[in-house]
Amino acid sequence: MKTWSIWIAATLTLAAVFHILTIFGLPYAIMDRAMAGIASSAGGVNAPAYPERASAASRGIVRPSPDLLYTACVYDVSEQPVRLTSPVPDTYWSLSVFASNTDNFFVVNDRQVKSDRIEIVLAPEGSPAANGDVPVIIAPTTRGIVLFRSLITSEDSRAGIDAMRRQAHCEPL
Amino acid sequence: MKLALKLLAAFTVALTLGAGSALLYVRAGGLGGDIAAGPWKTNTLIGSTGADPYTRARVAVAGLLALNRDEAVYFTASQDDAGDTLRAGCTYKIMGSDPPARWWSITLYGADNYLVANRQDRYSYGGDTVAREADGGFVIAVGPAETEGNWIPSGGQTNDTFSLTLRLYNPEERVARDPTGISLPHIAKEACSS
Repeated sequence: MKTWSIWIAATLTLAAVFHILTIFGLPYAIMDRAMAGIASSAGGVNAPAYPERASAASRGIVRPSPDLLYTACVYDVSEQPVRLTSPVPDTYWSLSVFASNTDNFFVVNDRQVKSDRIEIVLAPEGSPAANGDVPVIIAPTTRGIVLFRSLITSEDSRAGIDAMRRQAHCEPL
Repeated sequence: MKLALKLLAAFTVALTLGAGSALLYVRAGGLGGDIAAGPWKTNTLIGSTGADPYTRARVAVAGLLALNRDEAVYFTASQDDAGDTLRAGCTYKIMGSDPPARWWSITLYGADNYLVANRQDRYSYGGDTVAREADGGFVIAVGPAETEGNWIPSGGQTNDTFSLTLRLYNPEERVARDPTGISLPHIAKEACSS
């Protein structure tokens, strides 16, 4: 009887460990899979992918918005910083950066950018706060995802927005 | 040999229990959270660097690359106003007025968290695209059969479940402060196929 109690307690303890490992590991595993998909489309890391407008056939990222056009990059600052550039429209647009644990550690939108173009540098911890006049964003993880969102305000404007979002770039500095 | 079998059995049971309970919890919760406003649920830690491990896991499974609440607030509904699960074979009316945000949209997703196939390729309405009522509000029909006016196809006469995500981009500051204090659209069930 006593032996069985020990076995049950040990099994439940091990189950708790697996539970915690799963909860902690899922974000990294799913981000890894998403990064692999984006990098495959872009031809590597630190390069942009321009996915088609989300539809029922889209299976890369869960719960995509069909009202937005995306530009996505996998950033990797392990060897050098990464430069992010894009034109900024006067309709909803944002540039967001996600760590490898899913955290959205940086976001800026069209209303916060005082110009029709943005340029920022993504750098590893320990980098200076600016590179000349260009702001530097410190990435908490060496790899992650950069996502540019552009709102499709109407079907008539879609082609122009599509052309604009294809000018968004990520490249090694 | 007997001990090895016992260890293997204990390991298998522990793995099934531990990983299985984690996946069940995360998948059942979806992108919603503990904050409810009518049928809509949200979690103000979505996308936040201060998110707890469970929120991160739920975001990874049901809302990867979700923005933090300063930029966007996401409400998810998997039930109607009466608390019944949303099903593709039923028809619903979503009724409301513009939420306090720069831009909003309502999008329908299947149980797998992807957009549901339909001949119209229509998955959502937003503040820019929804047809308005005379008072400026909106009514969006959701169901398997086309209806006049705003209509999001639910995918067919099936018992499949679905959920709706209400995105509020650049929400007013009070949304993030108290998501339960704002008026969000009602989701009323009209009928279900037998």
